[in-house]
Amino acid sequence: MCMELQLGLALPGSDTWSRPLLKLGLYEDINVNSKKRGFDHGYLEDEFSAASFKNYEKGLVGWPPVETWRRKKLRCQVHNHMTAAENGYCGGRASNSTYVKVKMEGVVIARKIDISIHQSFETLTTTLMTMFDIFDENRRSFKLTYQDKEGDWLIAEDVPWR
Amino acid sequence: MPKRLAYSLPDEVLEHVFSFIQSDKDRNVVSAVCKSWYEIERWCRRKIFVGNCYAVSPKMVIRRFPQVRSIELKGKPHFADFNLVPDGWGGYVLPWITEMAGAYPWLDEIRLKRMVVTDESLELIAKSFKDFKVLVLASCEGFSTDGLAALAASCKNLRELDLRESEVDDSSVHWLSHFPETYTSMVSLNISCLGSGEVSFSALERLVSRCPNLRSLKLNRAVPLDKTANILRLAPQLVEFGTCTYSAELRSDVFSNLAGAFSNCKELRSLSGFWDVVPDYLPAIYSVCSRLTSLNLSYATIQSPDLIMLVSHCPSLQRLLVLDYIEDSGLEALASNCKDLQELRVFPSDPFDAEPNASLTEQGLVAVSLGCPKLQSVLYFCRRMSNAALVTIAQNRPNLTRFRLCIIEPNTADYLTGEPFDVGFGAIVEHCKDLIRLSLSGLLTDCVFEYIGKYAKKLEMLSVAFAGDSDLGLHHVLSGCESLRKLEIRDCPFGDKALLTNAAKLETMRSLWMSSCSVSFEACKLLSQKMPRLNVEVIDERGPPDSRPENCTVDKLYIYRSVAGPRFDMPPFVWTKDEDLALRLSP
Repeated sequence: MCMELQLGLALPGSDTWSRPLLKLGLYEDINVNSKKRGFDHGYLEDEFSAASFKNYEKGLVGWPPVETWRRKKLRCQVHNHMTAAENGYCGGRASNSTYVKVKMEGVVIARKIDISIHQSFETLTTTLMTMFDIFDENRRSFKLTYQDKEGDWLIAEDVPWR
Repeated sequence: MPKRLAYSLPDEVLEHVFSFIQSDKDRNVVSAVCKSWYEIERWCRRKIFVGNCYAVSPKMVIRRFPQVRSIELKGKPHFADFNLVPDGWGGYVLPWITEMAGAYPWLDEIRLKRMVVTDESLELIAKSFKDFKVLVLASCEGFSTDGLAALAASCKNLRELDLRESEVDDSSVHWLSHFPETYTSMVSLNISCLGSGEVSFSALERLVSRCPNLRSLKLNRAVPLDKTANILRLAPQLVEFGTCTYSAELRSDVFSNLAGAFSNCKELRSLSGFWDVVPDYLPAIYSVCSRLTSLNLSYATIQSPDLIMLVSHCPSLQRLLVLDYIEDSGLEALASNCKDLQELRVFPSDPFDAEPNASLTEQGLVAVSLGCPKLQSVLYFCRRMSNAALVTIAQNRPNLTRFRLCIIEPNTADYLTGEPFDVGFGAIVEHCKDLIRLSLSGLLTDCVFEYIGKYAKKLEMLSVAFAGDSDLGLHHVLSGCESLRKLEIRDCPFGDKALLTNAAKLETMRSLWMSSCSVSFEACKLLSQKMPRLNVEVIDERGPPDSRPENCTVDKLYIYRSVAGPRFDMPPFVWTKDEDLALRLSP
């Protein structure tokens, strides 16, 4: 899930060190460290508390100094979410392959899954849960998201299975 | 006797002698010898470099140098790369192209960095310069594939088209198909920045197959892996190759085709790209690894063991760009395998996470600095550092010329001692006497600036963030660093005093950037009045700086020397001297 563009305005004459909290770009790598939080923290619930690592709180624009284009290129790849990237790469052309890369937040290594053998989100989710060793009671904490051709992250269950 | 000889040499002879002098610095010195040499030199200068497009006007350049063939221009300040310069600030190339279209019909090379380039500009280039050969657009924006189509259609002798890191809008035009069938001149093509819809693969294949001089080809991610082999077989003479997407389930037929194609490329020395790389496919490049001098894996999200395997096949490596997935262990392997390494850049895979994503610490950098005697250029992102490590690096690698360290969390102290990094960076500037570029990070007091002012005599570019205690810090740098050309500062407690005291210094530099510091608008106005050959731009999107209380500081400040005077294309959020302000506000 992406963080929306956030805009905050500092009052005139306020502390020198506060500045407009203009966060440019989408920091989809909210990257809650699941080792610390445990699975019962659904990452959607924690969407804003997840932004508790310091840089984000301070609203630092342009820090760390990684070029915008480099961030974009990295973003289009393996992510730290539970996601399915369409055809395995961001905005790529449709290929014949029905294998899709799935990444779970907090787990470095991605898995690949053949989407053609599934007929519904139910079976897909069940398989993924097993793959990533998520127990039944924690299922609800996780949401399946996917990235469309424009690079936007959307909730999978919002669109009908096809 | 020698004096008379110098005056009696005919112009043509002098011109011939000058033609061997290529560097700008030397040419400038030559032109300052006497009036006649100035005249001769200006007529035969062919290459111009303008480090700040607002430092001089195109008319002035054309007036002095009437027969230029090659021009390089830079626009926005460096911090624009990190979103610190608002959109619409400036850096438009069209006025330059318009003037040069009339004055330099034989212009054949244009290199731009951080400029706003429109389709109109590209179309004007295509129309105006009959023998156009080289276009490099580095970190540019504002144009679409329509503009590229115009270039492809008109520029018969185009040799180099390099769009590195630029933002290109997709107008859905198959621009590659606009290269006529008779066009065969391409030598270097870099389209790695393009999105998926912007390259027709079949057009690309046809282009590659008819350009026998193609030496450098950097593809974008949309070209699938099984097509890569086709391209390589069409161009086995490539020296530089940027792969397209490297992702797919491992299929042995695709793999062996790819491996075979790579093994044909005996001249290949540089590889980049590697998006979505699947480690299983990496061995396909092993046949070329022993000859590789440059490897850019900075988009490859592969883990340390695979990276170690890869670098152990590349003993000739001189340049490596990689993500922190390489970890300390990978850097140790690099240090033992790659003794010719000159440049290392390690980027963060997860820059916004407080916790480390990979086991990369100061140890990795220390290992490389100990093991690689030719190491000159370092860019290193990490989450912890120690003064001891920095001192070790400095003592072992006095030949460093570029040292950029980014400790990700601001104000991080030495993890062993809790001290600031004054001593560590002090050692760097003291030992590395040829250091020309330095970026600081971590906890730093005014002391580090005292060291820099004292020792960094050859330093040309300094980047500072979240450092220092007072104006004294800035003063040390401005008064001590004799070779300083570019200074960029953010979030430091530097204010009016240091700036005004060292006003004259600013005219000896290309530019100074200060954002989120403690400079008042009053000081900016004063500086502007005192120094007419400086453009003092206050960039503030909050509204007129005058409307805030006296002691309120400006958001961003960009000061640069200029002989062109104030520019005419300033957006509303750029504020300069009073007179301009009055004009802006008047109905």
